[in-house]
Amino acid sequence: MSPAAPIEPAKKTLPESSSSGELSPERADLEKCRRFGDLRGVQWRIDLGILPSSSSSSVNDLRRVTANCRRSYAALRRRLLINPHIPKDGSNFPDLVMDNPLSQNPDSMWGRFFHKAELEKMVDQDLSRLYPEHGSYFQTPGCQGMLRRILLLWCIRHPNYGYRQGMHELLAPLLYVLQADLERLSEVRKQYQDYFTDNFDGLSFNETDSAYKSDLEKGSPHMEDAIKNQKDQVKDNYLNELDPKIQTIILFSDAYGAEGELGIVLSEKFMEHDAYSMFDALMNGDGGAVAMANFFSHSPLNGPQNGLPPVLEASSALYHLLSIVDLSLYTHLVELGVEPQYFALRWLRVLFGREFALEDLLVIWDEIFALDNSRLSGGSEHESEVSYGVLKSSRGAFISALAVSMILYLRSSVLATENATSCLQRLLNFPEDVSLAKLIKKAKSLMTLAIDAINSKPVGVRGQSLSSDLVAPGSPRSLVPESYWEEKWRVLTKEEEQRRQATPQKLVQNRIKGWSEKVKMRLSRTESACLLSKVNHKIVDRSRSPIRKNLLDDLAHQLGSEIDEKLASEDDSKVRFSSVNGGSEENSSIFSDPVSPRCFAINNDHGNETERSSVASNSSVIGNHPAALYSATEEVASPLPVSDPPEDMLFKEVQNDCTKERAVTNLRERRLLAGKFQWLWMFAKTGPEGSAEKGVCTSESSISPVTECNQKNAVPSSSTTDGTSKPEAVIESVLEQQKAQTEPVAKIALVGRGQITAMAALKELRKISNLLSEM
Amino acid sequence: MVLVMAIGDLHIPHRAMELPAKFKSMLVPGKIQHIICTGNLCIKEVHDYLKSLCPNLHVTRGVYDEDARYPETETLTIEQFKLGLCHGHKVVPWGDLDSLAMVQRQLDVDILVSGHTHRFMAYKHETGMVINPGSATGSYCGMTYDVNPSIVLMDIDGLRVVVYVYELIDGEVKVEKIDFKKTSATT
Repeated sequence: MSPAAPIEPAKKTLPESSSSGELSPERADLEKCRRFGDLRGVQWRIDLGILPSSSSSSVNDLRRVTANCRRSYAALRRRLLINPHIPKDGSNFPDLVMDNPLSQNPDSMWGRFFHKAELEKMVDQDLSRLYPEHGSYFQTPGCQGMLRRILLLWCIRHPNYGYRQGMHELLAPLLYVLQADLERLSEVRKQYQDYFTDNFDGLSFNETDSAYKSDLEKGSPHMEDAIKNQKDQVKDNYLNELDPKIQTIILFSDAYGAEGELGIVLSEKFMEHDAYSMFDALMNGDGGAVAMANFFSHSPLNGPQNGLPPVLEASSALYHLLSIVDLSLYTHLVELGVEPQYFALRWLRVLFGREFALEDLLVIWDEIFALDNSRLSGGSEHESEVSYGVLKSSRGAFISALAVSMILYLRSSVLATENATSCLQRLLNFPEDVSLAKLIKKAKSLMTLAIDAINSKPVGVRGQSLSSDLVAPGSPRSLVPESYWEEKWRVLTKEEEQRRQATPQKLVQNRIKGWSEKVKMRLSRTESACLLSKVNHKIVDRSRSPIRKNLLDDLAHQLGSEIDEKLASEDDSKVRFSSVNGGSEENSSIFSDPVSPRCFAINNDHGNETERSSVASNSSVIGNHPAALYSATEEVASPLPVSDPPEDMLFKEVQNDCTKERAVTNLRERRLLAGKFQWLWMFAKTGPEGSAEKGVCTSESSISPVTECNQKNAVPSSSTTDGTSKPEAVIESVLEQQKAQTEPVAKIALVGRGQITAMAALKELRKISNLLSEM
Repeated sequence: MVLVMAIGDLHIPHRAMELPAKFKSMLVPGKIQHIICTGNLCIKEVHDYLKSLCPNLHVTRGVYDEDARYPETETLTIEQFKLGLCHGHKVVPWGDLDSLAMVQRQLDVDILVSGHTHRFMAYKHETGMVINPGSATGSYCGMTYDVNPSIVLMDIDGLRVVVYVYELIDGEVKVEKIDFKKTSATT
C-alpha cells in the first residue's frame, strides 16, 4: 500500500545550535527524549504517547506497544466497515421495518450505511484537495485510500465530532513522516544490506580468521559502491559497531519477537495502523490538555457555564498573551476589530498546517510534540474561574507562544493596515520564506509568559466578546446528521416553538399602551446590547434615560427634521426628551423590524456609512421633544428585565451577526465608562473608519446616564454565549438588539442625510430580515 | 449497491390526492439511484416530484397519463440485471403471469415490472422475476378489491437483487423482503 513515488526523507531539523545558550538543561532533556531524532515517525509516536517514552524502554517494549496499537486498529477496522449486504449471521433476522433501505431510523444498518456514505463524500471532497503541491505522494490512490479509511473510522468512532474540514490536514503530515521513516529505512537497508540478512552459513567459530575471510567473500558482492573499500575489508556483522542510530533503525525493522511482523516498528504494512494511532492520540490529547479534537467541537469544554467553544477560548488565550507581550499591537488589532478567531481558527485547527510548507511544518511539529502535554496545575482552582483549559499544558503554551511570535513577526505589516480586511489578509497569508529558527526561538522565549497567561484568569469580557459566530450558524449543517430529514423536522419544530415563544413577548409588548412602557422596552433592548460586558451597577440617572427612549421611539416613525438641533442638545437632557408622538403607539416589535434590519445590514456592511447616518438622523429627531419622561424612567428598571431575559437568552445569537460591533462596544464601554460616548464608539466601530467617531464624541455627561441605565437593565439578563442557534428567534433578537444599539448612536452621530433615504433603507432591511427569518 | 424504486398507478389527481404521508416521509432524495414507473402518474407535477427524488426516472405510458410522450415499454440495464418496464394494460389478460412472461421474453429482460392491476405481485421463476409494484396511492381499480398502497424497492448488487416491498396496511408500513439471485451474468 505504499505510494509509488518516493518522497524525500525530511532532512530538515532544527539546528541544535540555535538553542545553545540559554536552554542547555532543556536541551539535555530534549536530547534524552529525542533519541530517535531522525526518525520522526517513531519520535512523534513517543511524543504523542503511543510508544513508551522512558529512555530505558528497549526496542522490545516499543515493539510490544506498537503491536498492541495495531491490533486494536485492525479490530476497529474490521468492525466498523459495514456492508449491509453481508448478513452478520444467518440466524439474525433483522427487523425489516427498521432495517430496510428507506428506513429513517438512524440506527438501522442502512441508516449507518448512508451515514457512512455521506461522511465519505465529505472526506473525499477534502482529500482531493489535499496538498496538491505534494501530489505525487498525497494524491496517489493508495495514500488517499489510507487517509480516507483512517478519517472515516475515526469519525465513526467519535460521532460527536463528526468529520470537520481540517482533520485531513492534521492526518496528512503524520502519514508523511511515517513514510519518510520508511524511506530512511530503505536507504539504510541499501547501505547496510548485510546487517539485515543473517549470514550464518559462512560463520565458523573454529577459524576466526576464516570467518572474517568468508564474510569478506560473501560480503563483497552485496556491498554498494558507496562503502569504501577499506570498510569492505574489515566489515563485520556486529551491530554494535554501527552508529547507534543506524542500529536502532535496523532493530526496528526486525521481525523477531512474540509480535512477529506486527511488531516491526518501522513497518510499511502497518503504516495505516500507526497513522491512525498517531491521529487518535493527537486528537485526544492523550489525556493531556491539548486535544485537537476540542478545536473542532462547538460545545464549551467545561460545561455551558463557561460558554465558549474551545477554539474561541484558545483564540482569546492567544490575544491575552499578545496583550501581555505587545500591548500596542494588541490594541491595534482590537481597534480594527480583528477578532483572534478569524485567523487563529485556521492556525489552531490544523496546527499551523496551512501557514507553512510541509517541511517547515514538520520542524514546527517536532517542537510542539516535544513538549509535554500533561495538564498544568496552577492558576485558579475554581471551576467557575478556570483558566484557558484548552491550552493548559506546556504544549499548549508553546502553541500559543508560537502563534504570538507569528503575529509579532508580522508586526510592522499589521500595524500598517488600516482596516480589518487587509489586516486579516496579512495575517492569513503568512510569508513563505520565514526563518523558522527565529520563530521557534522567539516562541520558546515567550513560553514562561505563555504559561502564566494561560494560568491566569481570563479576562471575562474579552471572552464574552468573542462571539461564536464562526460556530453557530454553520454547525447544524456541517455535521452530517444521522437522518437529515429527522433533524430538519426537529429544527423546524424548534423554530415553531421559538416563534410561539417570541410572539407572546411581542404580544406583551403590543399590549403595553403607555409610551413610557414602550420606551422601557426599547431601552431594555438597548441595554441588552451592552449585556455582554460585565457592567457595573451604577445609579441610574433617571433623568437621562428618557433620552434613549426618545431615540428609540422616534427612530421608528419619526422622520422629523430636527436632527441638527438634536445634535446640539447633547448636554441638555431635557432637550433630549422627545415627545414620542406616534412612536409609542407603535408596536415595539414593528419598531424593531425597520431598524434592526438596517442594523443587521449595517453590521455586515461596514462601509455603509450613509445608512448609519440616516439612522442617526432619525434618532436624532427623538431628542427634540422634551418629554416628561422622568417618571417613566423610574418604572423602566423593573419591568424591563422581565421582557429582557427571554430575548436576552437569544442574544447569544446576536453575536452571530454583530460580533464586531458588540465586541468593540464592550471593549469601548468598559474603557470609557461613558454611555453615549460608548455608543458613539460602538456605532462608529462597526465600520472600518475609526476617526469619525472621535470627532463626534459628545459630552460624557449625556452619555453616561444612558449607559448606566442600560447597564442596570442589562445586568438582569445573563448573557451566555451559547453556540446553539435558534435561527428564527435569533434573527429577531439580533434585529432588535441592533436597533437598540444603533438608535442612541444614531442620534448622536451625524447630520441628517435625508430621512427618506433612511426609511427606504429601513424597508429594504426589513425585507432582508424577513428573508433571513425564512431561511 | 444500486437502489431502484418501482412505483406506479398513482392516478394523481383523478383518483388520489397525493402519496400517503408515510411513504412520502420515507422517500428522501439522495438514497435512490433509479426510479422506474409503470405509468398512470398522471400529471406533470407527479413527474417532477419523482424527478426530484432521483434524476434517473423512467416512465412508461399508462392509460390516463397526460403526457403522451412516454414510451410504451422501456428496458434498462443496471449492474448485471436487465429490467423491463411496461404499464401492462395492453397485456391481456390483465395480470396474467403467462402473458407477462411472454412480454418478458419478448423484451429479453430478467426482471419485468408492470402495473395496471393495482395489486402487488412478485413472481420468481428461474430466469427472472415479474414484479408488480401495485398502486403507490392505493387508488381505486376495477379489478382489485381493497387496494393497499405499495411501492417496491430493489437493491441490485451484482448478481443478486433484494426486493423490498413496502405496503401500507391499516396505516402502518409493512416491509417484506424477497431475494433473487441470477444464475449467470448478463452478456
